[in-house]
Amino acid sequence: MNAVPSEKPKPERFDPLRYRADFPLLARRVHDKPLIYFDNANTAQKPRAVIDAVDRYYREFNANVSRAVHTLGEEATSAYEATRDKLARFINAPSRDEIVLTSGTTQAINTVAYSFAMPRLKPGDEILVTTMEHHANIVPWQLVCERTGARLKVAPIMPSGELIAARFIEMLTPSVKLAAIVHVSNVLGTVNPVRDLAKACRARGIPLLVDGSQAAPHVPIDVQALGCDFYALTGHKLFGPTGTGMLWARREWLEAMPPFFGGGEMIKTVSFDKTTFADPPHKFEAGTPNIAGFIGLGAALDYVEAIGRDRIAAYERDLLVYATTALKSVPGLRLFGEAPHKAAVLSFLIDGIHAHDLATLLDHEGIAVRSGHHCAHPLMQFFGVPATARASLAFYNTRDEVDRFVAAIGRVRKLLG
Amino acid sequence: MIAMPSSNLYTQAVLDHCRAPRNFGVLASPTHVADGANPLCGDTLRMELRCEDGRVAEMRFSGDACAIARAAASMLSELAIDRSDRELAGLQQVFIALVGGKVAGDDRLGGLNAMRELANHPVRQKCALLPFATLRAALAGLRSATTEGIE
Repeated sequence: MNAVPSEKPKPERFDPLRYRADFPLLARRVHDKPLIYFDNANTAQKPRAVIDAVDRYYREFNANVSRAVHTLGEEATSAYEATRDKLARFINAPSRDEIVLTSGTTQAINTVAYSFAMPRLKPGDEILVTTMEHHANIVPWQLVCERTGARLKVAPIMPSGELIAARFIEMLTPSVKLAAIVHVSNVLGTVNPVRDLAKACRARGIPLLVDGSQAAPHVPIDVQALGCDFYALTGHKLFGPTGTGMLWARREWLEAMPPFFGGGEMIKTVSFDKTTFADPPHKFEAGTPNIAGFIGLGAALDYVEAIGRDRIAAYERDLLVYATTALKSVPGLRLFGEAPHKAAVLSFLIDGIHAHDLATLLDHEGIAVRSGHHCAHPLMQFFGVPATARASLAFYNTRDEVDRFVAAIGRVRKLLG
Repeated sequence: MIAMPSSNLYTQAVLDHCRAPRNFGVLASPTHVADGANPLCGDTLRMELRCEDGRVAEMRFSGDACAIARAAASMLSELAIDRSDRELAGLQQVFIALVGGKVAGDDRLGGLNAMRELANHPVRQKCALLPFATLRAALAGLRSATTEGIE
């Protein structure tokens, strides 16, 4: 499978333009201006390797997986299952059998909510989350609490957007039966000290779930080193197709958890008297999956690994520093999230200018940013704002784009200020 | 190829109403009050009315909303005076048709015709529809309105 970037990069210098050429969409014009895509935390663009992998599957070996014994079925199954191996390597999971393929982070977290938390929790029990969680790491737990009588507890953050880790650890009281935390905040960019938190959780026998949606494209992940119990991520932010994602869980948990969805593919034997379930991970994978999507995700993982996640992280760190300095030069601009350890996400507001007006006017300049609450209402409430604008960068973004972005903000200020 | 929406949404008329909104503020003794919210973006808008003989005698709006919602509320505040709820219901339907691109313009809408460009900005249409929805809610005696369910 040819999924490497078009040219082998020299390790000493990171040239984003070389990689940009791998993303057909980035050549597009919007409102007759060259597209500047700064909405990567929402979803990332796809390299040709991913688009081609999906295309090839449908053209050359479209078949259902794990059922058909014919040639097409075998080819489809082996390409699809290869992504499970790649994901296991990507997060350094001890075994491929601990990788449950899901439609995304949301399904992954809901699987833990319904199959792990729901049967275990009782009235008086607590689930600990943080103020900076995405709705996907809040609402499933609220539903669990509603049905079990458990309570959701929220660890606070600082105005800088950093978690108050000591408070989080203090709040790990005996009534806490599960903790759930985002690895990298989609709004603030904050990288949480998951390793330390996981250590504290383990010492108290509290399972920890980590939402890695935003971390996966930006920071290297090693679930064994992190020491968590569950890790969820999504494929589409990782340059793969939408409708793909993963739940990693320790084998002991996967074995103890009942299935979430019932149907084909997740069983050993079915009769009307008794049905026995497949072993993990297939126990949690009912029905025909997003085969093309996962084959595309496999190509995305190959692509990212060929560039090197450490190199991507280092380049994005530089770009973040550059963009932060540039944005801070804009009068009346308020930045949300200034944790010392953060990913290339810049949430901001400009005095007297609504985030939506800013986003619409930037779009007229060919610049795509997100405006709104970023699926994090409680975090918006913490900062006392209804919405922010957010520029989220990827390794294919450049300093030149940052310059043009800041210049365009200047023109918006002139118009609306 | 995807059609490119043109960029003349923020016209002079819209910017003028946004910078210097008409009837911005609150009333001393309103007869009707409603709070409007756009759950999509968190914008809020309060409408206060004083009605006499079934017609709007005074209207004020306040709140934290984007330029489009503010301008639409300001323009609406000029249109609503001396109108009955029934007349406003009719105008609301015309306005929804305008914003949705189903009519190109209508004299009865006055300054609100400046919002016709929203036909090219589907995701921003509710910003302009919120003030009208909140006004109608207030007249109906409801305390709150949202942009959900507006077609």
